[in-house]
Amino acid sequence: MSVIHQPTVRPTGAAWRWLREQPPSLLFAVALLIPILAAVLFAPPLIGYSPFDQDLLARNQGPSAAHLLGTDHLGRDVFVRLLDGGRTTLLVSISATIFAFVLGVGVGLVAITFGRITESVVFGFLDLVRALPGTLMALLLIVALGSGLGPLILALGLSYSPHVAYIARAAYQREISRDYVRAARTFGGGPMHVLWRHIVPNLLGVLVTQAAIILPRCIVTESVLSFLGVGSSPDAPTWGRMISDASRTIQQAPYVLMMPLIALVVLTTCISIFGDHLRRWLDPVRESAGDNITPLPAREVQP
Amino acid sequence: MTPSGVLALRRRHFLLGTAGLAISSAFLPLVAIAQEGGTLKIGMLGLDTSDPHRHTGSIGVQQVYVEALTSIARDGSVEPWLAESIDVSDDGLNYTFKLRPNISFHNGDTLTASDVVANVTRVKKEISGGWLVSAMEYVDSVEAPDEATVVIKMSEPYAPLLNLLSELWILSPKSEGWDANITMPIGTGPFTFGDWRPKDSFTAPAFDKYWMDGMPKLSSVWFDLRDTTDKSLALQSGDLHIATLSVEAAETIKPMGIARIGSLGDTNWYSVAFNNRSARAPFDDVRVRQAIGYCLDKKAFMQFEGGPDAVATCQMTAPGNFYFDQAMEDADPFKAPDLDKAKALLAEAGVNPGDHTIRFVSWQEDYAQVVVQMIRKLGFQIDHSALDDVGAQQRLAGDDWDVNVMSSGPRADLFLRYVRLMSDGPNPTLWGNIQDPDLDKLISSASREPNDDKRRQLYLDAMQRVQDKMYFIVLGHAARLVGIRNEVKDFEPGFTYSLNWASGGIAGASL
Repeated sequence: MSVIHQPTVRPTGAAWRWLREQPPSLLFAVALLIPILAAVLFAPPLIGYSPFDQDLLARNQGPSAAHLLGTDHLGRDVFVRLLDGGRTTLLVSISATIFAFVLGVGVGLVAITFGRITESVVFGFLDLVRALPGTLMALLLIVALGSGLGPLILALGLSYSPHVAYIARAAYQREISRDYVRAARTFGGGPMHVLWRHIVPNLLGVLVTQAAIILPRCIVTESVLSFLGVGSSPDAPTWGRMISDASRTIQQAPYVLMMPLIALVVLTTCISIFGDHLRRWLDPVRESAGDNITPLPAREVQP
Repeated sequence: MTPSGVLALRRRHFLLGTAGLAISSAFLPLVAIAQEGGTLKIGMLGLDTSDPHRHTGSIGVQQVYVEALTSIARDGSVEPWLAESIDVSDDGLNYTFKLRPNISFHNGDTLTASDVVANVTRVKKEISGGWLVSAMEYVDSVEAPDEATVVIKMSEPYAPLLNLLSELWILSPKSEGWDANITMPIGTGPFTFGDWRPKDSFTAPAFDKYWMDGMPKLSSVWFDLRDTTDKSLALQSGDLHIATLSVEAAETIKPMGIARIGSLGDTNWYSVAFNNRSARAPFDDVRVRQAIGYCLDKKAFMQFEGGPDAVATCQMTAPGNFYFDQAMEDADPFKAPDLDKAKALLAEAGVNPGDHTIRFVSWQEDYAQVVVQMIRKLGFQIDHSALDDVGAQQRLAGDDWDVNVMSSGPRADLFLRYVRLMSDGPNPTLWGNIQDPDLDKLISSASREPNDDKRRQLYLDAMQRVQDKMYFIVLGHAARLVGIRNEVKDFEPGFTYSLNWASGGIAGASL
């Protein structure tokens, strides 16, 4: 019989009352995130311009009916490139985050499960990796793996996986001392059975909140790398590349620089706010006083 | 005196003092102009070696501390420099140089003919792969019959010799590293080799025993050698006095009234080249190359890169140049884009562009993206690698590329453009490592032809062969813009990136 800790939502009445009870910062973040995500996912094909189309006679033009956010130094539509770049940024960052978690959790937990020597060796290696700044390590990996979205995702995921492994280990060590784990072992559960059947489900809350923390970091790192011209082609409409290109024509077209900067700040801030609230909601240990969201008590589930 | 009287007196003194200060400060700029000295800050070029004889392309910075027998004037003509006079025999085989008297090296030694002989011998025997290799092949001997005379005897007439000698700089054989790689060059220039921080900065202090009376007027010159910064902003702020500018930056700076916009006498020219040494299918098919040529909008490209004064051509010389041919220009099949024709050629060659990815190499310049987008309209996938100078040359020296777009700057002689198309020429990678003995023969013949018209025809025949074989496609020419702040006096850009020449340059500049 396994025990799963799950937060319970206090029963509420109408949806509107529920919304009013949520923190304003969370509502603000979600209100911005939903249209941003909808725009970057669905809008680009509807606009009619390709992010690569150039109009060399209409360079550095200001916002107009034809080009909502103007054009850049090659006459490309800034709005389309912003949306397309956002899609690329999110695709890369979400993929890298998922990869980091799969790798980090897998490596970390398996290492722990197989005893102290394995744990020491694996985490010793992860300590070496963590000693390098994340951006630098991603840069080195891209140089080794080559350019393109695949290597970029791999590089970002690898650079953040040690962090995830440490979070997983800390959460694991917290859970391993609990009674339900002892009970599972008493009933004959092997190390891998206990790990995947009992412990991992109770780690999910922690890991999901960490994903919401790592995702904005991935977004920023991806932007830094593309700003440096690494991991994407020179005309790729990534936000970092847009910022890099626009910094050279800041006098002629300052809005071309401001748009991706603002988009980057807004997106990462909203995800961070969302993640902060998600952490409070899902993590049963770390409750904060004064929140409207109360984490659930642990409950038993059938094995 | 009453208190009010005291106050009135103090107020009067204050007003008089303020007026005096205002009047005197109006004369300060005049005082500043009248002063000599100061450090001129330049952001135009790089410095790739401390050994001037071993340069790989960056020649401007070093010309403030080294000089040659000849120099190139603003209009592109050759003028005597360290040589006071030049005599060429009727058969074009003997060149006699009379040196100017009392020219000192930076270590105090006087320049003699023996020093010139030592330099020519060093370049001929010790230096490989440089600009002067082919010229030195024709040098039979170099002698100093007296301390003021140098005689160079050629095995065959060689038309560009005097122009090329403007880049055979004369250093003291006592320069540190003379026998291997010079680390401290001792030249005769108006400035000396000072503090060099590679890829960052270079400072050249003035040489107080410079052979031109009253020069240099500056105390020193400081070069910004970083190649990633936008120099137009530094020019605007005054962190630089002279800087190369893009067309957009020049348009921004012009109305500010803080600097004048000049340009080099010779042009930058642009080309799209193919891998000519190890082309892979289908880019080894001339019809595919022609298809790519038909998708290029030369006028739009040159307008983007060079502004309204840029010109689209099919030749390595611009209109107005003696070697330019209007008939060849009129016959250019790629004068205007024709996508339908391009697609028809691909169909004829049996090529489905969607099945192929072009490995495209360029420098980290915006104009490369313009060409990429033009080619993309054909339907090819493009894997674009934008690299720095060294990275691009290394990549182009290998086999894993198909198409590039490059530019090349001003040159002391047209031969320096054609020599790079030769099988053993310097830096042939930018034009796809052409290996064509017949083309080599044409260019070599042109260089040895003393008759101007015959030489012109030989160069045109070489250009025609390049076009027929589709080795590369010339896009056009644009002037290299240079911004010069108003406080810089008596300086205008030269024919090439050279900052110092006999009839002008930085020696006479002041702040």
